[in-house]
Amino acid sequence: MPENLARLFGIFLAACFCGVSSGLIGVGGGVILVPLLVLLFHFEQHRAQGTSLIALVPPTGALALLAYYRAHEVDIRVGALIIPGVFFGGIVGGAWATSLSPRKLRLVFAMFLLVLGGWQIFTAWKS
Amino acid sequence: MHTALILLLGLVAGILVGLTGIGGGSVIVPALVYLLGMDQHMAQGTSLFILLPPLGLGALWRYWKRREVDLLAGVICAVGFFLGGYAGGRIAIEIPSRPLQGIFGTFLVLSSLLILRQSKSGQKRDATHA
Repeated sequence: MPENLARLFGIFLAACFCGVSSGLIGVGGGVILVPLLVLLFHFEQHRAQGTSLIALVPPTGALALLAYYRAHEVDIRVGALIIPGVFFGGIVGGAWATSLSPRKLRLVFAMFLLVLGGWQIFTAWKS
Repeated sequence: MHTALILLLGLVAGILVGLTGIGGGSVIVPALVYLLGMDQHMAQGTSLFILLPPLGLGALWRYWKRREVDLLAGVICAVGFFLGGYAGGRIAIEIPSRPLQGIFGTFLVLSSLLILRQSKSGQKRDATHA
């Protein structure tokens, strides 16, 4: 099936792009991968999120982390303190999410990212 | 006090991750920069360290049980993340903090626009199904 193969290759290219951006800005690739799977490859929303989670189970950021570690740009103590909160907070948030409209949540979250991103750009540009 | 603030930060970030299925680093990096006064590189490196363990495993289990996972596409994406991540990390180290902060902000804005687009198309799909 060449059409299916082309689709998988497209997904691979999208993932490579997400990987570069995730190493470049130090975040998980899911932030951009989930919308791309939905918009470009017509994944249903839940399937996009589940598939993105599969891609995040292996430590895919390990090579990117290595690059930062070699340049002494990792604070392991602060990182280790944040991990338990993210894990337990994730469980609380996951349970909470079922009682709320996901579309409204995404909207709020997108606005939140927009403000944070704008703030970062403003800080960089001002100084 | 400092330690309590950091623990609380992780908890808030985790709740956001669980709620939206996306996030984590995108919230943690600005928080480390603005709340803890970290340098942009250090914040991004620390965020990658936090994302090392499979924090989304519990969430994945729920999706898996509902058969909402495309395993083949997921594995392909993992390979792309792995290879692309190294390239991105190498590039970031060479870029000074200020422009890197600008790039970070630009990617957050890009992803927020993508999420807004996605919400819109999801709404359309829901409407046609109804």
